[in-house]
Amino acid sequence: MDMVVSNLQQQRAVTEQLRREAVIKRVPVSQAVADIVKFIQEHEQDDCLLVGFSSQRVNPFREKSSCSLL
Amino acid sequence: MSRDTNVKVSPIETIESLTKEAEHLKIKLEDERQKLNDVTLAAVADRLEIINYMNVKPRRTLKGHQAKVLCSDWSPDKRHIVSSSQDGKMIIWDAFTTNKEHAVTMPTTWVMACAYAPSGNLVACGGLDNKVTVYPLSLDEDVTLKKKTVGTHTSYTSCCTFPNSDQQILTGSGDSTCALWDVESGQLLQSFHGHAADVMSIDLAPSEIGNTFVSGSCDKMVYLWDMRTGQCVQSFEGHESDVNSVKFHPSGDAIATGSDDATCRLFDLRADREVAVYNKESIIFGINAVDFSVSGRLLFAGYNDYTVNVWDTLKCVRVCLLYGHENRVSCLQVSPDGTALSSGSWDCTLRVWA
Repeated sequence: MDMVVSNLQQQRAVTEQLRREAVIKRVPVSQAVADIVKFIQEHEQDDCLLVGFSSQRVNPFREKSSCSLL
Repeated sequence: MSRDTNVKVSPIETIESLTKEAEHLKIKLEDERQKLNDVTLAAVADRLEIINYMNVKPRRTLKGHQAKVLCSDWSPDKRHIVSSSQDGKMIIWDAFTTNKEHAVTMPTTWVMACAYAPSGNLVACGGLDNKVTVYPLSLDEDVTLKKKTVGTHTSYTSCCTFPNSDQQILTGSGDSTCALWDVESGQLLQSFHGHAADVMSIDLAPSEIGNTFVSGSCDKMVYLWDMRTGQCVQSFEGHESDVNSVKFHPSGDAIATGSDDATCRLFDLRADREVAVYNKESIIFGINAVDFSVSGRLLFAGYNDYTVNVWDTLKCVRVCLLYGHENRVSCLQVSPDGTALSSGSWDCTLRVWA
């Protein structure tokens, strides 16, 4: 009997989850993707791993210059 | 003799009726999602310029762990890194100098999770001890003196993170749940039930007011959770094996995943579906960790074949490979200001790329 009750509860949780997800408002992929592209384009110039550093001097992990003035 | 018709009888739910409804809802959901699937990401990105030059090089190697590096996290100061290892140690590194500032021995091996608190003054870690323990960082005294166990799962702790303050910790566990803990009292504030297997990875929504997080699991599923209610808000399927890593796109509107099925994927929250798959026929190894560059254009992924693959998230092509590690790449993370990438490996080292 306990088994039946717990199975029922489990199935109820699954169905309730699907009911919640069924009423989610969705946007077309074209719109979602356009917004992702827009976000990326607005931030690309600040993306050092993508566009590099304006000068290696501003790279905090640059190698220290191996030659020095005597 | 008339029957009382005022009594409202609630429909009796049986397993059969619930199962039937679930099947119906699944079909409806798939129909709805498919109806809005009007274009592919790669097609939209076709007009964009390709990324033809990347100057990311290996800059530092952090040596000191005696066994596999399992997890790492950047400090908010963009300079320090905490790492944890199979050797039972947690190390705090100065990534600029490669010096070790602290080395803490845990009461367990396989320390699978570690994280910096937003203040930078506290770290948390856990693993096969099933716990999450915090260590206040101080240069003056032994950090183990003030350690504090915050939470305990019924299986290993696989991941942990601080949601927006030093006061709370969110954990994921092999017991298939996630949990939100109060650091001060050790109280369980919320638990998150739904996954059918080990939770491997969690990530918080990037917005500071965001109250959602995402989880990836060995049940192949990706769930989006509401931290306040404990409810699953959205679920994403598609992966054919364990989901080892999940990460929010910096826009907060999408989630990248890495899986044992040798693919990374992009799921969009508003379209409520998968919008991209990042893979090649030649790639047959699983992915343990993913992270975005600050714009979200690049996706870094750490593979079991010892490499880090860099994907163009829009054109859905591989930009380059980062070679260096001599064993599986187990963890990687872009630094908070986006200037560097750290990676950890079963070769016992961490590397910094910039």
